[in-house]
Amino acid sequence: MIQSKSDAFWIRHLLRRAGFNASPDEMDHYQKLGYEAALDELLHPEQVNNEGLEDKIKAQFFDYTDLADLQRWWLYRMTYGRCPLEEKMTLFWHGHFATSNRKVNNVFAMYVQNMLFRKYGLGNFHELLYSVSTDPAMIVWLDNQQNRKGKPNENYAREIMELFTLGIGNYSEQDIKEAARAFTGWQTQAAKFVFNRNQHDFGQKTFLGQTGDFNGDDIVNILVTQPATSKFLAKKLCKFFVADTPSDAMIARIAGVYSSNQFNIRKVLRAIFSDDEFLSEASYHAKIKSPAEYVVGSLKLLQVKNLDPSMPVMMERMGQSLFKPPNVKGWDGGKAWVSTDKMMERFNFAAKITSQRFNEIEKYFGAQQLMQKQGLHNPKEIVNYFLALLVDDDVPETARRRLVEYAGSDISGKPLDGDPDEKTLDAKLRGLVHLIMTLPSYQIC
Amino acid sequence: MTISRRDLLKYGLGSVAFSLGATQMWGLAAQAAKLAPRQAGRAKILVVVQLSGGNDGLNMVVPYGIGQYYQLRPNIGIPQDKVLKLNQQVGLNPAMGGLHDLFQDGKLAVIQAAGYPSPNRSHFRSIEIWQTADPDKIADTGWLGRYLDIKQGGKDDIFPAVNVDPMLPKTLFGSQVNVPTVSNINDFQFQTDPFYRQDRQSQISAFNDIYASYGLKRPSLDVLQKAGIDANLAADKLHSIVNEYKGSAKYPDGNFGNSLKFISQMISGGLNCTVYGASLDGFDTHTNQVKQQDGLLKQLSDGIAAFYADLKAQKLENDVVLMTFSEFGRRVAENGGRGTDHGTAEPLFLVGGMIKGGVYGDHASLSDLDNGDLKYQVDFRSVYSCLLDKWLDSDSKGILGRRFEDIGFLA
Repeated sequence: MIQSKSDAFWIRHLLRRAGFNASPDEMDHYQKLGYEAALDELLHPEQVNNEGLEDKIKAQFFDYTDLADLQRWWLYRMTYGRCPLEEKMTLFWHGHFATSNRKVNNVFAMYVQNMLFRKYGLGNFHELLYSVSTDPAMIVWLDNQQNRKGKPNENYAREIMELFTLGIGNYSEQDIKEAARAFTGWQTQAAKFVFNRNQHDFGQKTFLGQTGDFNGDDIVNILVTQPATSKFLAKKLCKFFVADTPSDAMIARIAGVYSSNQFNIRKVLRAIFSDDEFLSEASYHAKIKSPAEYVVGSLKLLQVKNLDPSMPVMMERMGQSLFKPPNVKGWDGGKAWVSTDKMMERFNFAAKITSQRFNEIEKYFGAQQLMQKQGLHNPKEIVNYFLALLVDDDVPETARRRLVEYAGSDISGKPLDGDPDEKTLDAKLRGLVHLIMTLPSYQIC
Repeated sequence: MTISRRDLLKYGLGSVAFSLGATQMWGLAAQAAKLAPRQAGRAKILVVVQLSGGNDGLNMVVPYGIGQYYQLRPNIGIPQDKVLKLNQQVGLNPAMGGLHDLFQDGKLAVIQAAGYPSPNRSHFRSIEIWQTADPDKIADTGWLGRYLDIKQGGKDDIFPAVNVDPMLPKTLFGSQVNVPTVSNINDFQFQTDPFYRQDRQSQISAFNDIYASYGLKRPSLDVLQKAGIDANLAADKLHSIVNEYKGSAKYPDGNFGNSLKFISQMISGGLNCTVYGASLDGFDTHTNQVKQQDGLLKQLSDGIAAFYADLKAQKLENDVVLMTFSEFGRRVAENGGRGTDHGTAEPLFLVGGMIKGGVYGDHASLSDLDNGDLKYQVDFRSVYSCLLDKWLDSDSKGILGRRFEDIGFLA
């Protein structure tokens, strides 16, 4: 760890990356644990009491066959659950094994797949990959339903290697053909996996230099052990959690952890979050927030108690529609999140959230109360408070000064003469939070 | 003239006129200097209209002169006396009066039986093939995205192209260029708390000042700064265009009519953008096809006719070509549900002042079928290559990978 920054600083960094940021109360909890214990808790969601979330979800009466409801359900989990890394990894695997309801056309199957990612996502990659290969949504998505003895469909065989394990260039077209034969008969019926013996090609196959009467399980077994898989996964995880261009050295270190720990994802993640490169100035605020991080992070920081039903649509317009990744590669992330229209969507989300007026927000934006509670007496203190909360104080001095100027003026733009009245204070606090949420510093994590 | 962010920064900082309309983010001085209207007859514009779902070409360009059509479509075939004739063999669906008029004026080219080898009948994969112009492998960029990458060549344009649909089609995916999506102009604006309207200018002013110089060294910060500034420049420009628009053409109600109207506003408002994308959805007519498709074709025809009339009234019709395409045509024989299933070859439309109207190529054979589907006659990439070379003055060989025949629909 870099000694010059405090434990508290790195815990905030950890929560932004391993989770979706944290509300002030949640952050307090992790700060009290300290970095090591906080990381332990994140890595062991099975030991955390998440009943509060389950109760909140039950009260929503989500329709698990309706896509918009399913998107909201997941946003609830991300925002109000106490297992942030579990949800973040579920999002990672959703992007990695990108499956879209546009083609699957079965929302409940997408729910089942999502639960699969949550169940196996921190465990063993071997088990995860096998489960994905028998997942009904995946079978439909990559056409394995049509993969039959004598008339193979190569889509799953190709993508399991190109996108899920080895990466391009580490297998041949012949390997794809042989793997396709091994996966013949792996079908879905009535939303369950079914091994259709009549459609399965039981013959000998030669795959990545090995020969046998391989079935899909054997293909999975072979793939997870390949060095190319360890590198491919390590690179993807480092890009997702550390920086857009992680160093080759770090990728190699993490690949090594994967290979020498029986493909244990939890151990890989611990290594990532303990790595010097993760805990370095170069990785700090080095990534652009995905729409999920932007939206969920905002809801947490501003302690919004109920989700606006249009959140999923706003996220879609920012470029990320849950359960509908744009293609088999998932979401590219990084600069792909940035364009004129997507920025406008972020700005408008910020305007919407900061101009909402219901009781829960009142508690937060109740201007006088907030000032009292936080001990804020003048524009400078107000700005300092919000910049610390929302962007970890990572702004240029010129921006800070200009925000103080804004906060210290009345609604028509003239400098304030004495203390503002309640109405002016309300306008200024909302406007200030809105402005901060439109800053470049708020787009990064 | 193109709007460059760097140029406008010089004008914007410190010279914002607060007293002007609430939507103005940057000074009028900047606008006058840099945003002079695009001159008619200079840049060529392509409007690409995607018909989503797989449009049944046989009921749009009806082969009324070929007997098998009626044999294979006893229920959904368009009656001969209703067809709007284009020649002795084919005619338009009766809902398409507007386009029929354009045909008679010589401004509509109908390219028959466009397709590609080894046709794919998955919506998903086939539309991708048309959008990327690559039937052989899954390409990451669209044919027009690649065109825009070359044209942009590292320049700073905010509007290389505009997509008017909610989602950006792969047609417009470039490796460098970033095509903005503006599907609802009313939403495309920097919004502030409606409860405190007077505070809006203070916020906008603070935003401008802060963004003008953001001295923070983090990866990607430049990209974010540029995008934030561009978002507001773009919104201002689009809103002033829409507000100043003086056209009076009557567009059909609905999203498609609105899309074409918005595109017309941008063209006449001098956006200097070469490509626009729009789409019309609902063509996947597996059952009870006639009513559904007729309704869509009427929207399509009325929309395009209004668009052309609008441009013509402003003497801009020679600057624009509009093209329609779909992911595939549909099967020749009707199915048991008075509809049709996914098929192959389809007719394409090209409309514009410089288009040499007419019916190009023969109708696909209705007897020599490929497993019940039409065999294509023209590789769709020939149409693209003509547009790229002759209309957009670009490099079709580089963009499409090889040369294709010149169909000759451009004057």
